[in-house]
Amino acid sequence: MSVFEILRSAMRGLTANKLRSILTLLGVMIGVASVILLLAVGNGSAQTVQNAISNLGTNTITVRPSNGGGGGGGAQASSSTSTSTSVKTITTRVSDQLASAGLGHVKEVVPQVTTSLTISSTTTSSDNVSVIGSTAGYFDVSTTKVASGSAFTQADVTTSAKVAVIGSTLATTLYPTGSALGQQISVDGTPFTVVGILATQSSAGFNDPNNVVIAPLTRVQKSYTGYGAVSTLTVEATDSDSVSAAEGEVGVMLNQLLGVTDTTNLPYTITNQSSLLETAAASATSFTVLLGAVAAISLLVGGIGVTNVMLVTVTERTREIGIRKALGATRGAILGQFLAEAATLTLIGGILGVVAALIGSRYQINGTQPVIIGYSIPLALGVSIAIGVFFGVYPAARAAAMRPIQALRAI
Amino acid sequence: MSIATQAETVAADSAPPLVLRLDGIHQVYGAGEAAVFALRGIDLAVASGDYLAIMGPSGSGKSTLMNLLGCLDIASEGIYELAGHNVSELTEKELAKVRNREIGFVFQSFNLVPRMSALANVELPLSYGGVRRIERRRRAMEALDMVGLVDRADHQPQELSGGQQQRVAIARALVTSPTLVLADEPTGNLDSASTEEILSIFDHLAGQGRTIVIITHEEHVAQRAHRVLTISDGLIVADRFNEGIAR
Ligand SMILES: Nc1ncnc2c1ncn2[C@@H]1O[C@H](COP(=O)(O)OP(=O)(O)O)[C@@H](O)[C@H]1O
Ligand SMILES: [Mg+2]
Repeated sequence: MSVFEILRSAMRGLTANKLRSILTLLGVMIGVASVILLLAVGNGSAQTVQNAISNLGTNTITVRPSNGGGGGGGAQASSSTSTSTSVKTITTRVSDQLASAGLGHVKEVVPQVTTSLTISSTTTSSDNVSVIGSTAGYFDVSTTKVASGSAFTQADVTTSAKVAVIGSTLATTLYPTGSALGQQISVDGTPFTVVGILATQSSAGFNDPNNVVIAPLTRVQKSYTGYGAVSTLTVEATDSDSVSAAEGEVGVMLNQLLGVTDTTNLPYTITNQSSLLETAAASATSFTVLLGAVAAISLLVGGIGVTNVMLVTVTERTREIGIRKALGATRGAILGQFLAEAATLTLIGGILGVVAALIGSRYQINGTQPVIIGYSIPLALGVSIAIGVFFGVYPAARAAAMRPIQALRAI
Repeated sequence: MSIATQAETVAADSAPPLVLRLDGIHQVYGAGEAAVFALRGIDLAVASGDYLAIMGPSGSGKSTLMNLLGCLDIASEGIYELAGHNVSELTEKELAKVRNREIGFVFQSFNLVPRMSALANVELPLSYGGVRRIERRRRAMEALDMVGLVDRADHQPQELSGGQQQRVAIARALVTSPTLVLADEPTGNLDSASTEEILSIFDHLAGQGRTIVIITHEEHVAQRAHRVLTISDGLIVADRFNEGIAR
């Protein structure tokens, strides 16, 4: 018999009891749909995490003071107020020394100070805008690009120029009608000229990354934060393979510069973006696996439904099996017939499951946009057919093993 | 013993080849106290072209014998040779092949596969025999033509009368051109008009030289066969040839 004939004969068996077939098929469909969809949710959240982290740049290491010194706060922050007596804090001087230390795997050291201030135009103002003071290198190490206008230069930093690059949210808040570019803004009373506007960045955390002012480090220190500890040092490695090596070099050099003697109690923490990325990717993978496992259980339950319904079918059609055997059907032919029925049932369920998953993946689930993993569709379909065969084998083998005369006597 | 001798003598005289031979066939159902001895030593030879009717009271073992002849069951004891095969020595697969090639079985309760058209039912033995689709269709239509049901080829069993269903079943039994046609009370569930239709088909087949074994408990049905075997309590008690029927 050709494949088409086998399928047609299987369909005839399945349509004999439509409701029962549909209910069984529904079980398989839900199983397959949930496998594809939950894997897609896991994948979607993994991608969200990865995007957020790669926005931070993967070639970079971040150094932050660990004893809460921070840079934000105010002009009163200074090295003398730090907790430790002998250990110094990371100031711009330390940053400069680190940059000029000639570390082999370090390309650039970018210090940042941050604070939070009120920014206003002639018409409106915005509270609690984060103000970042940094060097021109900031625009190299940050993934945030200047969309219009230009970044400030190293010359601006040297002269403590009152220029600023602002985020897109802030730009539209302050100048809702025209472009903010070239306009004056007041940062806590001091007028700055807007020289650039940043490209809009997707939000990875609670704060809007587009509500920001970036100004020359020297100007921010002079007017707002003072010359104490910086809030962050961003160190760019020469390439992505050198990140770990750079991390080591920076650690050793910092200990030397800061006079650290007790390495178990460092005054700073170093975060390596790529290791962060790896950790996040690993946890996303295990999350996906977990979701997949939960979905696989529902597929298993669907499969057990197939066994159940096939057992009932075989019992109901015992006499038919007897007739077929009397006409010369071999064990293999009977086995094949019932396996084909089970596999057809699960294949249809599988196809409908894929369709349901494709529709479902167009909607956000718990804030995550599912991203269908390509291989999960053929995988789920293959598994659903395999389930039909696996869970159909026992009932089919029972049918095939019947002696013709016994089967014929059934009512 | 004398009865078996008569049959063997006839077979030897006119020398048509034997289709089947039973030797000391016993069939026991169950065991111990509850054992039922359905057949208690059957010797029988059926020659090619024989039209044999088996009669006997209910419970005498007719169906048991028929099921053995049709290879639907295996005897507890004795030898059964069919078309040169020793049936008790065949494997499961070989048995299926013998059922398919050598035997056409007609049941009292028709036994068509439900939800399958008459044509598909008739094609079934051919598809188990590995006959290709086009050839299968042609031969099935031929068989349906023989029983006069070509116009009902697309009807499902439940859309056919009892007599029509039985004619489809006969077409299905004949479609493989089997060595032996077996019918267990084929008219038992039919009215007299349908019975006559079925019997005239068997007459026609016998005229073509087919080997037919039919079970009946009606004398007028048995009258149309060439040879009548009477069974009682698991033993052959009479084996006679009908008068005036040309062989
Ligand atoms: N599967 C079976 N199990 C036990 N006893 C059986 C079975 N089939 C038939 N018998 C018994 O064997 C005897 C012969 O039955 P059967 O061949 O059906 O008779 P007939 O067809 O002549 O009416 C009866 O006594 C019947 O009860
Ligand atoms: Mg009977």
